[in-house]
Amino acid sequence: MAEQPAIDPMHQFLVQKIWQGPVFEIGGITFDMSITNSVASMIGGAVILMAFFALTARGQIVPNRGQAFAEAIYGIVDKLLVQTIIGPAGKPYVPYLFGLFVTILVLNLMGVLLAIGNLGGLTLTFTVTSQLAITATLAVLTFFSVFILGFIKQGPKFLSIFWVPGMGVLGGIAMVLIEMISYFVRPMTLAMRLFGNMLGGHVVLSLFGSFVVALGILGLSGGLSSLAFLPAALSFVMIVGLTGLELVVAILQAFVFVALATVYLNEVVNFGHGH
Amino acid sequence: MAMQEHQDPAADAAHGAPAGAAEAHGAAAGHESSGGLPQFDFAQWPGQIAWFLVIFFVILAFVRFFVTPKLGGTIEARDGRIEGDIAEARRMKEAADAEAADAAAEIAAARGRAQKVAADARAKAQGEIAAALAEEEAKLAGVAAEAEARIGKARDAAMTNVQAIGAEAAEAIVEKLTGRKATAAELAAVRS
Repeated sequence: MAEQPAIDPMHQFLVQKIWQGPVFEIGGITFDMSITNSVASMIGGAVILMAFFALTARGQIVPNRGQAFAEAIYGIVDKLLVQTIIGPAGKPYVPYLFGLFVTILVLNLMGVLLAIGNLGGLTLTFTVTSQLAITATLAVLTFFSVFILGFIKQGPKFLSIFWVPGMGVLGGIAMVLIEMISYFVRPMTLAMRLFGNMLGGHVVLSLFGSFVVALGILGLSGGLSSLAFLPAALSFVMIVGLTGLELVVAILQAFVFVALATVYLNEVVNFGHGH
Repeated sequence: MAMQEHQDPAADAAHGAPAGAAEAHGAAAGHESSGGLPQFDFAQWPGQIAWFLVIFFVILAFVRFFVTPKLGGTIEARDGRIEGDIAEARRMKEAADAEAADAAAEIAAARGRAQKVAADARAKAQGEIAAALAEEEAKLAGVAAEAEARIGKARDAAMTNVQAIGAEAAEAIVEKLTGRKATAAELAAVRS
């Protein structure tokens, strides 16, 4: 962005090649395996994530600060979500849900926190979770894993989740359609929620940032234009506040995604209970 | 330059990149410079998704084989250990309680024995005192009876003397009044 002064809040979402990788085609789909800013951010996130847990997760019975912190994050998924929503039967699914949580969390947070690099003219931020391709991948992967698990665990009677009893035959069939739509719209809502939250916040931040620059430059031209410093300062204050808000959103959306995944999983694991 | 509003077609075209927030969606897939959100540039999807899946599964494997044992396993081990320690403490407390109960029972038994010994001693002492009292009473009763007997004898003797004196006095009174001596038979008749 540094070399391009034009104000374009969408520029930050642009996938740009850093290193040209192999390009191949499978079934008419072209896979360009180049390292882009998106892929670099993913790898960076994975490295940060693994380094964090490699350093903190020491398996100490009496935990030090790092271990206690890592356990607190683990407890969000393990105790707060899985054991509360699913119960002890949810234990085998904790690794997946925890992996999902920390992946989304680290990618969300990188999008906000690494913006500090902008001060030095470095564009370190690329919010991977603001890419619909990624949120859709996570949502579809999670949703269909749960759906297939339903058939593995419950067999064909898993389809009865679409049947609402006490509606008669015709009403029942109508309800099956509605239930199926509301069920299969889940991966879409999962993907769009995370994507929309990340996109919206970053667009607003970028816009206010551009206001600071544009109005500041206008103010420098002197005279009556100096008044432009006022809205520039206001925009800056907004950025500070919104960055804090974005941090909350980054954590909250990771939590919401995993919480919903846990709720969906619960329907499968505790099938037939408490409907 | 920077004072323009945030949509600069020239700059966008120069960069050859999708831009402009408004007219998004219907963007033709696979074209680099289609309008709208860069996220809807579907040409970028396969590569991104493939990379992401690889990285995500690496993270999942890391979580499954490193983080979960180190965190979940540790939390469980700690909970287990705390539970074990609590159970051990409870067991020890129960043992101590049982011992305390034994000791209390022993104390109660000892107190019972001591009370019995005291009661026996008291009963024995009382028996002895009663026997001594009875003996003394018997002795005193003997003495009293003897004394009474002596008194009775003395009284009898005295009574006999009083009769003799009375007879003599009566004889003397009769003699004085009648001028003659009363006969012994008369006197005996009066006396009875």
